Amino acid sequence: MDLSAIAATVLASAVLASIPLMLAATGEAIGERAGVLNLGIEGTMLLAGLVAFRVALDTDSIVIGLLAGPLVGLVVGTLFGLLVTLARADQVLVGIGLTLAGTGLSGFLFREWYGDQQPLLDTGSGRPLASLADHVPVVGPALFDQHWVVYAAMIGVLLLGPVLTRTRAGLLVRATGEAPFAVDAAGISVWRVRLGATAMAGVLGGLAGAVLVVVELGFFRPGVTAGAGFIAIAVAMLGQHTPLRVAVASLVFGVLQGLGPGLQVAGAPVGSDFPRLLPYLGVVVALLLARHRVALPAALGRPYDRATARQDD
Amino acid sequence: MTVKDMSRITRYEEDTHMLAGHHSRRDGIRYGCLVRSRLVALAIAVLLMAPLAVAPASAQEGVEVRSVAIVTPASRTNQGWDQQGVDNLIRVGEELDVDVEVAENLGYDDITPVLLDLASDDVDLIVCHASGYQTVCPEFAAAEGVPVVVIENPEAIQPGLVADIETQAQEAAYLAGVMAGNETTSGTVGIVVTGQPPTWNFMTVGFAEGLKAARPDARLVYTSVGEGTYDDAAAARQVTDTVLAAGADIVFGMGDGAAFGMIQAIREHNQQSPGQPPVRFIDVIGDKSGNEEAADLLLTSVLFDYTAAYTQMIADLEAGTFGQVYTMDLSNGGVNLLETKLAIRSETTEAVAAARSGIESGAIQVSSVGDAKGVDQRLRELFPT
Repeated sequence: MDLSAIAATVLASAVLASIPLMLAATGEAIGERAGVLNLGIEGTMLLAGLVAFRVALDTDSIVIGLLAGPLVGLVVGTLFGLLVTLARADQVLVGIGLTLAGTGLSGFLFREWYGDQQPLLDTGSGRPLASLADHVPVVGPALFDQHWVVYAAMIGVLLLGPVLTRTRAGLLVRATGEAPFAVDAAGISVWRVRLGATAMAGVLGGLAGAVLVVVELGFFRPGVTAGAGFIAIAVAMLGQHTPLRVAVASLVFGVLQGLGPGLQVAGAPVGSDFPRLLPYLGVVVALLLARHRVALPAALGRPYDRATARQDD
Repeated sequence: MTVKDMSRITRYEEDTHMLAGHHSRRDGIRYGCLVRSRLVALAIAVLLMAPLAVAPASAQEGVEVRSVAIVTPASRTNQGWDQQGVDNLIRVGEELDVDVEVAENLGYDDITPVLLDLASDDVDLIVCHASGYQTVCPEFAAAEGVPVVVIENPEAIQPGLVADIETQAQEAAYLAGVMAGNETTSGTVGIVVTGQPPTWNFMTVGFAEGLKAARPDARLVYTSVGEGTYDDAAAARQVTDTVLAAGADIVFGMGDGAAFGMIQAIREHNQQSPGQPPVRFIDVIGDKSGNEEAADLLLTSVLFDYTAAYTQMIADLEAGTFGQVYTMDLSNGGVNLLETKLAIRSETTEAVAAARSGIESGAIQVSSVGDAKGVDQRLRELFPT
């Protein structure tokens, strides 16, 4: 058995599998930085994934499908933002409601649109660097045999790091999550900053759903995200709400996800529960190890109310 | 009138008697006699009604079946286990003019509230379409007296109350294994499972035995996506990629929605390996040959057909003989192999036909292994390295 081929495949598929998680977790990190906990990512991903799939199928264009996902995410994220900022609704309840609604609506629409049919998209093309993969052993396919969306998503996520830390917009987002009263006192609308952050989180969540469905899988199924939206919340915290660390955490999760089956195929005596258990075990261990470094924004999950803000802060 | 009702009436009469002020000794004796006679009547009623508490009158005597229900853990359109059960029951319902109620996407939590809701709709039979409902449904049937059908739990059967379907598809899976053994060019065949429920385990061992019989030097790569990952298409795709990297050119995949993740992994692999013999897929339960993209790589499928079992159950319920084990096998058409458009060698067709004859004549005995440990042990025996 060619163990290097198995290792190369595990790494390559891990990179691809980590991209939707990376995008969703980065969006969640931005929202949490602004003080908004969004438990509705799963629902956003599902709705956006379904719409992206339909658009890609109808237009025969992956690019247009990929654009449709973030648009859906923008609408959903903005709606979520309005509910938790202006309406001051409970973030946890609205988030759970959004996930339930997104799950149900996407399943319902899929059945209405496609019935018993299961259309499949072509996912084999769009790899500009594939010819280089054979020149580098083991990690070659992981580095070069990837869809162009993988590279674009990685670059985009990494660029968001400096945006959060070195721009005025990033400073406002972070300040709103730590001390919204101070932001308010400076004459800046807290709810507008939070709304912008939740909209951005929605865009990234929608893009995550679109990438999962259109690029990674090439099809939509009801519940296709299989909990990725919730894992993204853990990854955002594990990555300390920093895009670079979130990206690394997503990659590690993807590798752990592929490692279990890889060990099975290589003949290691591991049970059928092991592949499923390993990535989650990894997250728990990592959270435990990094427990002193995982600091949540001070105002996370708390609606801002100027009347009571002084004592809250 | 139930025992509880009679007891309540007796207590009510006692209370009203006392409240009316009947406190004389004579009245007390009369009251005591009255209570004793009521107690005797109550004891007789209990004795008479005891058998009825064990089995409902309807099931014992037979009833006209007007409506049946099916409960499924996942979507009725998952093109797998759940859809096949629902579609088959609806077909039977249409043929017999019986209403069919479907409760889907129930997962594997406690489904008792849903069962109670269905019972309140006066359904005559509930098909509990998951091995994960093996415990809850017989308990519900015993408590509420509504007949149920469970999957792969013959110990649970109770006359008039609980019937069992044995989806022992190991025989058809054996034929699929024979086909794979004859068709593989690399000599490596993969099995990808989305859990280890009895139904998947039966097929895994049957397939492995067929593969071994047809190609003793074959290598089998057995991999699990994880327990209960029937619809996790992304994880199934990742696992299948790894199986393909190990050199498998035929993949026997057991999943519902997750099967499409396996199919996409194979499609992409074939697109990126021009000039190589294409990898092919063996599906289970449903027929995906109508899907153009899937049909291009679908070697066969182990088909399940519950219609005969469902029809017989309804007939048994009406005849008062409900509560048996209904086994789906090759001989009764409960399981079968799908013929697809892919060209297979004539030697393969002949080998499969010979294996079928051997199974039907009893010359070939396919193991029936439902537990995960038994599967691991049997696979180690068949493919030690």
